[in-house]
Amino acid sequence: MYDVLLNSPVSAEAQTLLPTVETMVGVLYFGLFAISFDFVSGYTGYLSFGHAVFYGTGAYTVILVANGKVPLLGPGTPFMLSLLVGGLLAVVLAILVGLVSFRLSGVYFAMITLGFAQVLYVFVRGWDYVANNPRDGPAVGPSHVEGFQIGVPGVDQLSLAIGVLTGDEVSLLGSTLSSTAVSYYMVGLVVLGCYFAMQRIIHSPFGRVLLAIRENEERAVAVGYNTYLYKLGAFAISGFFAAVAGGLFAGFRRSASPENSFYFLVTGDALLASIIGGFGTLAGPLYGRLFDETVREFLSPAGQGGGLLPYLRALLGQETLDAAVVGNETVGGLIDLLLNGHASLYVGIVFVLFVLYVPDGLLGTLRSRVGGTFAEAVPARIWGDDR
Amino acid sequence: MLRTQGLTKEFGGLTAVDDVDFELDHELCSLIGPNGAGKTTFFNLLTGTLTPTAGSVELRRESDWEDVTDAAPHETASRGLHRSYQVTNVFPNSTVLENVRVAEQAHSGDARTFWRNVDHYDEFAERAHEILDRVGLTERADDHASTLSHGAKRKLEVAIALAGDPAVLLLDEPNAGVSSESVDEIRDLIESVAEDYPVLLVEHNMDIVMGVSDRVVVLHQGAVIADGPPAEVRANPDVQSAYLGGYEPGSLIDGADAESGPDSEGGTA
Repeated sequence: MYDVLLNSPVSAEAQTLLPTVETMVGVLYFGLFAISFDFVSGYTGYLSFGHAVFYGTGAYTVILVANGKVPLLGPGTPFMLSLLVGGLLAVVLAILVGLVSFRLSGVYFAMITLGFAQVLYVFVRGWDYVANNPRDGPAVGPSHVEGFQIGVPGVDQLSLAIGVLTGDEVSLLGSTLSSTAVSYYMVGLVVLGCYFAMQRIIHSPFGRVLLAIRENEERAVAVGYNTYLYKLGAFAISGFFAAVAGGLFAGFRRSASPENSFYFLVTGDALLASIIGGFGTLAGPLYGRLFDETVREFLSPAGQGGGLLPYLRALLGQETLDAAVVGNETVGGLIDLLLNGHASLYVGIVFVLFVLYVPDGLLGTLRSRVGGTFAEAVPARIWGDDR
Repeated sequence: MLRTQGLTKEFGGLTAVDDVDFELDHELCSLIGPNGAGKTTFFNLLTGTLTPTAGSVELRRESDWEDVTDAAPHETASRGLHRSYQVTNVFPNSTVLENVRVAEQAHSGDARTFWRNVDHYDEFAERAHEILDRVGLTERADDHASTLSHGAKRKLEVAIALAGDPAVLLLDEPNAGVSSESVDEIRDLIESVAEDYPVLLVEHNMDIVMGVSDRVVVLHQGAVIADGPPAEVRANPDVQSAYLGGYEPGSLIDGADAESGPDSEGGTA
């Protein structure tokens, strides 16, 4: 897709607007993390501000297993298994954190989970067993030089490795998929599987109880639900998928640092994606992350996937760029001043605008426009309501 | 079906519920009393929302009495002690059907199932439809609860309490704030429900209380001051004094005394 557009007449525009494949892999695994965050926060109404801990747990588990630092699991452990192990570790951690945290509600719940997360963040930063320099975090070492394989463990034909440098390339019908593109599809496969699993849970009797808790916890108790256990269960499930997301992140990047896994701003990014995409809609956070990353890349300087800045420079030509506008400032200088390295600033403004004017997020707003989910509304539009 | 012995609740120096012995059989019993008499506190003690300072609450389903004094609200609810709320307390952004369905689901062993689609469990939705039919909300089943009128919300409030085969129904002012035209509908609903379940009703509308009740219990300052058939309670001078503060035409001064007396007592206790 991306390649086709780049070779088309609108290639300059396409490169400007579309994120690169590498970015898209990030959108997928981080999108899964944002979905798992939304699973507990959007559906039960309890903001889990320490959610990055589970993401970090998954990421570190994958790398430490690959480095042979986890007892019983050698460096040769299949990637799919270490994803699962990371997930289960996160479940245990979530239950421990949840046992204490769910005694509180509202902002106090958010604060206590944040507290737990920061304790673990500081701990991981100083734990020199995980890496030579724990502040920079671990990287996959020489004990596991090959790429991490997604697929059926032990069956080579049904597995493909991910990673920019270590991933497999696939020749299919005369065209070659780059290692990044293969990573995109393989990570996408896992993310899709996790999404369907969570979708199933949301639409189960258990999921309906979670919605009832968000709607009115007092009444949910009064009709006979032990909401404490349900919240704990939701938290554990959410922790599991957050860790899978973290594992995918580590598997693709082959390194992790406390700052991009355990740190509370990672949760902040998930919250951002959830709010932009639609809080309380399961797929919303993925679209939110896509939107967020696209805007960031669009506004980033040259050499990071193309964006508005190099596009304008190329479009306007050197003469226009050198023309003076205000005093000594040239057009080029002005563009530089406005755009260079200020992506976060603009994303922040977009976030504020979303909270103010699109409180239901992208997906939530679109759904209320078409009156239902797309899977139901679109056929109804085409064939009429009386299917 | 339900009984309390020596049930007492103190908030600091204030005794909200004072040594109440009460028993409910299969009947419609009304609990009345002036504002602040302790009716809602009594409800909260029964359901486990509040823990009593002293005394016990027991519930009987078939034969044996079961002690539920220290049970949490979700435990008393799953044992069959269902309540409705004085201030409407429903799931506002769910459909009317889902409000009742999720309450029905609470009384099955399937609520923790997370690997199967909810549509697999038709029986909950069926039961919910029956209940909606009974309270007269069938036509609104697919609307969001927040879009209902106040009168319809009061019916939904009762419908949620009806879900899951209750042993005892505690209805806390089902008529609160309902316009006079709709009062009759809710009155009919109370009467029809009382044929199937033991009902303890808190109500301020005396026409309803005297009309539908088998028995009336009067609470005043946390204590039971009268207990008996409606006509007998209505004639009871203590009840008249509690409600009117001893007011009789032409004796305003006595009335003021009668009202301030118990208040100062409560303050120093």
